[in-house]
Amino acid sequence: MAGTEEIYWGVDCGSSEIKVVALDGQGNILLKRKKKTLFPLQDHVRLALAGEDLSPFQNDSSCDIKEGHKIIATGYGRKYISFAHGALTEIKAHFIGVQKQCDLKEAYSIIDIGGQDSKVIAACNNKVDQFVINRKCAAGTGAYIEELGHRLEVPLKDMTELARHNDKELSLNSFCTVFSGQEVIKTLMNGERIENIIYALYSSVVKRVMEMTAITTDIVVFSGGVLEFHPELVNMFARKLKENNANITCILSPNAQYCGAIGAAEYGLKSP
Amino acid sequence: MSNVMKEYFLDLDRAAKDPARKVAWCTSVGPAEILRAMGFEVFFPENHGAMLGATRVCMETIPVANAHGYSPEICSYLTSDIGAYMKGITPLTKAFGIKEIPRPDVLVYNTNQCKDVMHWFEYYASEFSAPIFGIHPPTNLPEIKPEYIDDVARQFEALIHFLEPIIGRPMNREALKTTVALSLEATNLWSDVLNLAQATPSPMTFFDSTIYMGPIVVLRGTEIAVKYYKDLLRDLKEKIQENHAAVPEEHKRIYWDGMPVWGRLRDQSNIFKENKACVVASTYCNSWIFSDFDPEDPLPSMARAYIKIFINRNDQYKEDYIERMVRDFKIDGVIFMAARTCPNNSNSSYNLPRKLKDKGIPTIIIDGDLCDLRCYSDEQSTTLIEAFLETI
Repeated sequence: MAGTEEIYWGVDCGSSEIKVVALDGQGNILLKRKKKTLFPLQDHVRLALAGEDLSPFQNDSSCDIKEGHKIIATGYGRKYISFAHGALTEIKAHFIGVQKQCDLKEAYSIIDIGGQDSKVIAACNNKVDQFVINRKCAAGTGAYIEELGHRLEVPLKDMTELARHNDKELSLNSFCTVFSGQEVIKTLMNGERIENIIYALYSSVVKRVMEMTAITTDIVVFSGGVLEFHPELVNMFARKLKENNANITCILSPNAQYCGAIGAAEYGLKSP
Repeated sequence: MSNVMKEYFLDLDRAAKDPARKVAWCTSVGPAEILRAMGFEVFFPENHGAMLGATRVCMETIPVANAHGYSPEICSYLTSDIGAYMKGITPLTKAFGIKEIPRPDVLVYNTNQCKDVMHWFEYYASEFSAPIFGIHPPTNLPEIKPEYIDDVARQFEALIHFLEPIIGRPMNREALKTTVALSLEATNLWSDVLNLAQATPSPMTFFDSTIYMGPIVVLRGTEIAVKYYKDLLRDLKEKIQENHAAVPEEHKRIYWDGMPVWGRLRDQSNIFKENKACVVASTYCNSWIFSDFDPEDPLPSMARAYIKIFINRNDQYKEDYIERMVRDFKIDGVIFMAARTCPNNSNSSYNLPRKLKDKGIPTIIIDGDLCDLRCYSDEQSTTLIEAFLETI
């Protein structure tokens, strides 16, 4: 791409939001954008990518990409973006995104809570060693928090503060989001404080993720939008992890919600 | 291939309509040699279940069985098949113009793979008022002891006595030797076919083998199966000589443990192909290798062969077996398919993937099912498979 401006775009087509990142040829983040995931997906990805300040498209109407621009897609919608130059899974994208930003030399684990899945990735020697994704159902994911927040009529942005003011360590038992909703309603009918119920909801997410795999590294990095916007959930994860390993270091990745998109863009930059 | 299976089903249909011929239903790793040697035509309901799965007709029939008291958590071959019977449909109609499954004169099952087959066959025994006989071998075996073989061989003898009045003649022991010899020849050829995937690049994939395996399941003990596998072996050897790759630019080689997801064979095959990965070997297709058959010692050798199968062994045996396959087929990673309705054929629940991982063999578990696509997420499985291929 010598002689032209090099821009590397990463687009993370998640179940809730489309996240877009642009890197320059040195890997510096030029911009971050996001928009709600709507359909037709490709049209909305195009809208998310095209901006007045910077756009990979040659004009307002076409999907022709400017010379020097490269787009890599990740996330569940990664295969539906016909104008992307390549695609990689969100596992690898989050790993690259975290590795780029945190530059960890030691073995570490990534906990990523997405809209419809939760992932735990173990990394060492600058590569993914193993990974797990939630199995069978979406309890313990962003969709779970969103659904129960909706039931409780609590805006997502208020949850963290409410959870911090719990005075009881309640728990929800069900594997199923709908049955958890029933448990919540029953608890409410018994006069329980909303703060304790939000705490229980967060606690349920922590339990679901912790039972997916045994985390054996001394460093854990949190990524993904859910953890960025629910800081108390991060704190609860950290407390739980410290119960098993007092020396564990927990880090919220910079640009946590954009880790996947950053990883995709970085992959575009580094791959031929 | 399609002609072999077509002729098999058409002949079964003719047999079911001919009062002079008798049809026996048999489990897929049941004693088909005894039935064939005595003159029965043999129908395998599990094969019918796989057809219901591959055609995705099962998605109409499983809910029917569920509504009649058969849980969505039990074998989805069973629920697919019983649901199809209740609904009065069969994929044999569209495939071969056959109106209905062949009515059984007798049903014979073997619980060497699971106990669901017993419930399944008992349903039909009651429905058709047909006699039923079960072989109940010892299960989950670390080793094959002589007393296990004696036990099962005696059960086979009892089966023969049970069948003689139904077929109306005594067992011809020479015919049994011949049938076992034919089974042995076919199963050895099948083993040779599967072992050709040790070549790099492999001339075939697991997804091809799930089709090639038809005759070793339903035509064991016949000349037809022997001829089919001789021809297939020759064709595949030619492909190897021509350096034909089933997956162009084969880059990674995968082992598949557990059942196929019958309704997603093509999709999954494409995922691997797109990622230049070839699934070269599997527990499932290897389950019809019965190299212990001995025509000179038919019943004890059948007993040994049928209790020795992978599914009937303990976890240490399974771990050693997969390790050996990984070495012989130059495998880069193992995929465990955890079938929601087939715990016996899912080997990921008791820490086996992690044990292999600790030995340096990359593993991943994907959730799914042999038939019931309600238990399978296309998106999640694709991501898991692709991420696995990215990381190994």
